[in-house]
Amino acid sequence: MNLVRNHVLISIDAGTIMAGARAVEKTLVDEIASQGLTDEISVLETGSIGATGQGVVLVVYPEGIYYGNVTPQDIPELVEEHLLKGRPLKRLILSEIPKQHVIKKEKTGLLKEQPRIVLKNSGIINPENIDEYIAENGYEAIAKALTTMTPEEAIEEAKKSGLVGRGGAAFTTGMKWDFARQAAGDIKYIVCNADEGEPGTFKDRLILEGDPHKLIEGMLIAGYAVGASKGFVYIRGEYALSIERLEKAIGQARQYGLLGDNILESKFSFDITVMKGAGAYVCGEETALIESLEGKRGHPRNKPPYPVTEGLWAKPTVVNNVETLANVPEIILHGASWFRGYGTEKCPGTKVFTIIGNVTTPGLIEVEMGTTLRDIIYEYAGGIKNGKQFKGALVGGAAGAFLGPDMLDVKMDFVNLKEYSAVLGSGAILVMDEDVDMLDMLKSVLHFFRHESCGHCVPCRLGTAQLVKIIDRMSSSKGRKDDIDKLMNIARVMQATSFCPLGQSLYLPISSSLKYFGDEIRSRARQ
Amino acid sequence: MTKEKKLSITIDNKKLEVRPNITILQAARENGIYIPSLCAYEHLPSYGACRLCVVEVDGLRGFPTSCTTPVEDGMVIRTDTAEVRSLRQEVLKLLLSEHPASCLFCGEQTECKNYQGTIRKVGVTTGCRYCPNDDRCELQLITEKVGLTETSYPVYYRGFPVEKEDPFYDRDYNLCILCGRCVRVCNDVRLNGTLSFKQRGKLTTIGPAFDRTHLEAGCEFCGACVTVCPTGALSTKVSKWYGRPDTQVGTTCVYCPVGCKLILQVKNGETIDALPDYDSPVDQGLICVKGRFAIPEYVHSAKRYTSPQRLTPVGYEDISWDQAIDDAKERLSGIDPGDCLVMVSPQMSNEDLFVAQRFAREAMKTEDIFPLLISDLGEDLIPFLDLVMHASPFDVIGAAQGILSIGFDSTYGFAPIGIQVKAAAKNGAKLAALNFYESNLDVLAETAHETEPSRWAGMIDSLARAMPENGAANVVIIGPDVVFDPGRGAIFNKVIALRDVHKWKVIVAHPYTNLLGMLATGAFPGIKPGEALKKGGSAAAVKGVPVYPDLNKRRKVVYVIGEAQIDAAPPCDYLIYQNGLPPEGGLQPDLILPACMFTESSGTTVNAEGKVLPIQKAYEPFMKSQPDWWIVSRIVERMQKKAFKYNSVDAIQRDMKRQIKGFFSMKKGLEFGKAGGAAQSRGKRTMKNREDRYRGVPLASVVTGMKAVEERRRHE
Repeated sequence: MNLVRNHVLISIDAGTIMAGARAVEKTLVDEIASQGLTDEISVLETGSIGATGQGVVLVVYPEGIYYGNVTPQDIPELVEEHLLKGRPLKRLILSEIPKQHVIKKEKTGLLKEQPRIVLKNSGIINPENIDEYIAENGYEAIAKALTTMTPEEAIEEAKKSGLVGRGGAAFTTGMKWDFARQAAGDIKYIVCNADEGEPGTFKDRLILEGDPHKLIEGMLIAGYAVGASKGFVYIRGEYALSIERLEKAIGQARQYGLLGDNILESKFSFDITVMKGAGAYVCGEETALIESLEGKRGHPRNKPPYPVTEGLWAKPTVVNNVETLANVPEIILHGASWFRGYGTEKCPGTKVFTIIGNVTTPGLIEVEMGTTLRDIIYEYAGGIKNGKQFKGALVGGAAGAFLGPDMLDVKMDFVNLKEYSAVLGSGAILVMDEDVDMLDMLKSVLHFFRHESCGHCVPCRLGTAQLVKIIDRMSSSKGRKDDIDKLMNIARVMQATSFCPLGQSLYLPISSSLKYFGDEIRSRARQ
Repeated sequence: MTKEKKLSITIDNKKLEVRPNITILQAARENGIYIPSLCAYEHLPSYGACRLCVVEVDGLRGFPTSCTTPVEDGMVIRTDTAEVRSLRQEVLKLLLSEHPASCLFCGEQTECKNYQGTIRKVGVTTGCRYCPNDDRCELQLITEKVGLTETSYPVYYRGFPVEKEDPFYDRDYNLCILCGRCVRVCNDVRLNGTLSFKQRGKLTTIGPAFDRTHLEAGCEFCGACVTVCPTGALSTKVSKWYGRPDTQVGTTCVYCPVGCKLILQVKNGETIDALPDYDSPVDQGLICVKGRFAIPEYVHSAKRYTSPQRLTPVGYEDISWDQAIDDAKERLSGIDPGDCLVMVSPQMSNEDLFVAQRFAREAMKTEDIFPLLISDLGEDLIPFLDLVMHASPFDVIGAAQGILSIGFDSTYGFAPIGIQVKAAAKNGAKLAALNFYESNLDVLAETAHETEPSRWAGMIDSLARAMPENGAANVVIIGPDVVFDPGRGAIFNKVIALRDVHKWKVIVAHPYTNLLGMLATGAFPGIKPGEALKKGGSAAAVKGVPVYPDLNKRRKVVYVIGEAQIDAAPPCDYLIYQNGLPPEGGLQPDLILPACMFTESSGTTVNAEGKVLPIQKAYEPFMKSQPDWWIVSRIVERMQKKAFKYNSVDAIQRDMKRQIKGFFSMKKGLEFGKAGGAAQSRGKRTMKNREDRYRGVPLASVVTGMKAVEERRRHE
């Protein structure tokens, strides 16, 4: 094997490709070759390293130096200075490096502080190479499960770990598996919900782009636990790179015998099919997703029956989020008590957040459950951009809650936020500074819901339409005296009577925005 | 079957015992507790769209919809709390924000109801024509029950153009509340799939995908969507302005041998509409376009005879019944048996057929009774009768493991059979289809062949071999395209072999409505009343059909009853034509006797399963029309023959009971003996197409919409 002196990791994800990562990569490889360094320097593609809005990002190991906003023109200088002469090129080093990036994974002493379970390999390994995943203990968990655990034991481990669904509903994963295992029928399905539609959320994309094998392994374990031999990944059609990498990974896993019949010479057989969604928000709701998988219009179904008893093609079906499944291999490998070492008592583990809006370094972070909003914004995201004041945050996507400044110290986990009538949802955090018009924020949320309502039930279809009418009127300063009451009334009716969570959840952004920013919205509406 | 354990639940403090496996809404309705609902419909799967049926249930979070929540033992349900009432009102307000609602809140509503026979005063008096006036809108009652007297949202009129280009029904989606009943009935009950939701959210509309017309999208025009629509969005073209019907009359459709039950909607002595009965055991309410839409226009056609007529050198003159009966008597009296021929139709009732054969045999002493199908089928008549007389009931399809469909398509007819086939195929039965054109079953078939009918007979064996081995679990269905194909004889023989050797079940979808009744009542040459029926379990063979009428011999009188294709009759000196509408072709009858339609006279008919089904008189005959039996009886009376003298259908039925053992008392349906003998080749007509007819007149020539349907069927 060829030993190399330096590894250069170039982040290839949707964002960096837009910034020209492919051109930078090509120039880099050419430049290294022309300097005669090909044998000494290895250039590797990897998933997102977590920083967004920093153009093309490179990491040079073993130094662990992060370069941002790299252009092809910078390459000759970078290669000469750093790779030839060993002097880091200061002008390109990322000045505001998100906290988690500075932590080298070798320094295990800091792992407690910066745990990376889901994103363990993301930004470090080449997602298109199964060997790199295997080198990081990949597929060891499924081997462990198949050789040392019964399906019931795997479910028990998942239950003990306290892992709950990371898609937003926070249902105990082990329980869901157990229901499906207990359900009558020989044919069962594992469906991975990768239809990440919540505005501001892109964690699943980055997991899929950075470490697709982790999802495959998670689905394998879920399949083994539930007794399913077929899995589907329902993925957003827009996620071209995720689809490409996932399909490549599935192909490699099949080649290695990790998907298909008699996996690792056991009696367990499992295979995965990737299905592309067509961009409807409602298809993130699990029963609408199943309808869409069946080739029907994406309308939610009546519950009960729940998918665990009657799901895809009326067979027992487990629908799990990408992040949930990505947690599974580590839990099986290290055990439930290891997992419980992270996060809070009621809500163990980590959570991947996507931080966007007016922060210095927007991006993707994985932190322990129960980290405060203040820490997330000021420690990880570098605080509010341009030194402005924090005004509020929309947590959990469009169906989430607005939080005001007095919520900065609230612990971010599923259980705790519920007590403040808020939700963690998908883990999107949209940070707003003092200049943001909250009426406009609410308006955009309501417009989003009107656009995404599927039209099945009356309150959602026509309620969203009326809400938009009222908010449009308010935003053009023609608000009427009882408009706020009308908003709240429609929201109340929608919450109580809507068919599915889409219509029900709109109450939260409306009520929370009025709770924290009611005065501002009122005065804006009547200016 | 074990008795289901009842569940005890409490609704609004009332303790109730209810059936298991039903929803709260069903439990409430069965116990007379009103819960408003617009999207739930008894025969459709739960949908949960209108959200008006929300209730409170102890132990369940929030406000579950009663139409989607199954009852559980010990449930405590409250349907009428202040919170529930308020939510319903708010939801209804939202719903009405997109539905023209002025009539719902009008102060003169009650008066309007009394004078207009409809809730839709706005439409009728101001001419705004928002809604049809068919008294079918459910919003009025809902608005009243929910207690809404005003709305806080401005009404948004969506401004969709009213769709009128397809036959039979109009669609005004401005009135649509997206309850999804039409989509569900089309997809889940009719298994057709023409209708779907388009767009999403507030832009959602209903229609065929990709903006095809209904005709192009494979719509059967069964009208099920119109039947279930709770608003005026879907309305029948011919009846939408008639208002509330005076009465409803249940009867049996005589357009084909399925024998679907129809609920005739009667107003001012006319059929204005025909609706299905979802509880009908024969058809489960799955009627086709003919039963649903082709009746009012036919039975009240402007071409109908108003009076008896006599041909004079200067044309027809109206005469009285007295004169007409005299004319008939003059011509019929004193002629030799061989000089008279009586043409009958399988679309007559058993009672009319019984009287007609008595007339021929007893008054005229002739066996020359001529149903047109003898001529249609020629030498293939006997195997055809053999198949028809021993056909299986339709419900064998439901239990079938293998189904072979030959020349059969259920788009515009035989819907209850076709839908059962579709359901069986969806549940895993193996379906093979053999057609000339694409059939509506092809899409569900494991193998579907579109090929020349001449090749069908040769393919039956290999297709049958691919079916499950247990022949008793297989069904073969023969459609009209077989019956009208010159190569039918070979196909019939193959099918008889499947039936007799391999124990297959057979269903024949032919166009001769009351053929079995015709055979049972003896209105057939060579078969006397009751002779065709199996007696006491012994297989008494019909002696065959040796007495074919000679169709080339010139007669003194030909008396045509209920048939319009008179060019098939032998040449004659004097033609008596007894029917409702003028005959086809250029022949001019010498005497025209105006006869009733099946809506105007009672009786019975026998369907293809052998079930004796009632035909119910819905109103008095049109103008001077009279029932067939009445006319024939009066002629016999005037001829001073002692043969018979009927003054009521009851009297005919009494005689039938005596002569045809067990005709009205068979529980399972009539059982027929063997069909034997050899038929002579008498087929002198070639069937170019298999147009749907009633009493010989093509429906397409009378019913506007049937033209488009007929063209579509012929792939023109």
